[in-house]
Amino acid sequence: MGSTFRDRTAEFHSLSQTLKKIGAIPSVHQVEDDLATSKRSPPGSSKSEFNKKASMIGLRIHETSQKIARLAKCTVRSIVAVFLSIVFRWNHDFVLVAKQSSIFNDRTVEIQELTVLIRNDITGLNMALSDLQTLQNMEIADGNYSQDKVGHYTAVCDDLKTRLMAATKQLQDVLTTRSENMKAHENRKQLFSTKNAAVDSPPLNNAKSAPEPPPWSSSSNPSGNIQQPLLPPLNSGSGATLGSQLRSAIENAPSQQMEMSMLQQTVPRQENYSQSRAVALHSVESTITELSGIFTHLATMVTQQGELAIRIDDNMDESLVNVEGARSALLQHLTRISSNRWLMIKIFAIIILFLIVFLFFVA
Amino acid sequence: MKITALLVLKCAPETSDPVILANASDVSHFGYFQRSSVKEFVVFVGRTVASRTPPSQRQSVQHEEYKVHAYNRNGLCAVGFMDDHYPVRSAFSLLNQVLDEYQKSFGETWRSAKEDSSQPWPYLAEALTKFQDPAEADKLLKIQRELDETKIILHKTIDSVLARGEKLDSLVEKSSDLSMASQMFYKQAKKTNSCCTIL
Repeated sequence: MGSTFRDRTAEFHSLSQTLKKIGAIPSVHQVEDDLATSKRSPPGSSKSEFNKKASMIGLRIHETSQKIARLAKCTVRSIVAVFLSIVFRWNHDFVLVAKQSSIFNDRTVEIQELTVLIRNDITGLNMALSDLQTLQNMEIADGNYSQDKVGHYTAVCDDLKTRLMAATKQLQDVLTTRSENMKAHENRKQLFSTKNAAVDSPPLNNAKSAPEPPPWSSSSNPSGNIQQPLLPPLNSGSGATLGSQLRSAIENAPSQQMEMSMLQQTVPRQENYSQSRAVALHSVESTITELSGIFTHLATMVTQQGELAIRIDDNMDESLVNVEGARSALLQHLTRISSNRWLMIKIFAIIILFLIVFLFFVA
Repeated sequence: MKITALLVLKCAPETSDPVILANASDVSHFGYFQRSSVKEFVVFVGRTVASRTPPSQRQSVQHEEYKVHAYNRNGLCAVGFMDDHYPVRSAFSLLNQVLDEYQKSFGETWRSAKEDSSQPWPYLAEALTKFQDPAEADKLLKIQRELDETKIILHKTIDSVLARGEKLDSLVEKSSDLSMASQMFYKQAKKTNSCCTIL
């Protein structure tokens, strides 16, 4: 956003002075008189205890939300680290695996420290906010207050409370994503660490292998793409025995390989289809909600700018009125001057008469 | 992303080879002499995959550089040969559509077919050309694409609204300066008017 706030205190001061001159405000508070007399005092000098505390709390909330944002970034980075570690494991690059997992561990330490810090901050902020509330009640109970002051205090308190609630919610979200990451990581670890890979090779059906001619042999190698999610358990699990059996059997009966993999895959394939549909629907739904958010954002911005347009309109009207008044004054001046010429001639005639009389006296 | 062939077959339960009911293929990107062999290959692979697909099941098989997607629904089977980039979901929704269309236009007559029919089915040929772009087949993909475009447009809109805000800001400044200046002008005019009344 461009300018989230506008400092219009100068305008406010000038307006109050003009109103005072007209005599519209009955000056209730002595503070206002002091303000009017000491024009040079900066507008922020009248900060009360309440204001100071509120500003401090606001600052602390801001810092805490920044920390939470950093925490969120750390958890996201850890997801990337998990994926990288999985990819490298598939390539049997254990050195890199060790490096990646060490980075991942450091992240967890950092994450835990940050969470502890943030929790402490939030509890401190809660206490400070309740102090502020009691302070407000005390100031009001003093007796000498105006409605605006009460409104101002309540508005400030509510604002700070909502900001704190938003920060705590953010923290909750970050913690849930982190726990999900941990779970996913655990699952993937399990997937790779089990030596009992799922495949017991079913009794290969020799009868079907006969009519299949050689062109099918080329189907062996690229099995890759579709079957990759299931082959890694095969490969990493057995390593030598089962995988090599499969590979050697492929040249002889590629159809058997396909049948076996098909058997494994038909059930996951059905799930995958509906799952992928569900995922696509979810993404569509989230896109739509994003769009609605953007629309509301747009609407707020346009209304804010509408207020600006009204101000411009008022300013232009004011300047129009001023210019019209000035024009009429000048016109009056012009008519007076042009009409007064007759009088001016008379005045000059009188002056010249006096001069002649004066000259006569002297000479 | 392209579809090379679409086949509709009748899958007799495990007894005989499936019977081809309709066939459409796009072999224009092969050399002239390879075309017939490619067609044979398509027919053969289609038959094999269809015979291996259990009823009410979907299947995808990787063969050389093609993915063969098969969907068997109560004995009527649709097989599609697509390349690796074609999204799987759109492939299956396309096969769904083909099967629905076939049942609508041919009813139950296919159950009695015993030999490969050689009559071309025009719908299949135009489906082949139309659905080269997966968005056509898969409504979800189309919707997602349109939504992304809309989002881009909205982002641009927000940027222009921000620029508008800045311009409005500068306009506010200028108009307030103008009103100040006109006020000074008015006071000045009144002053010149007030002093020389005697003359």
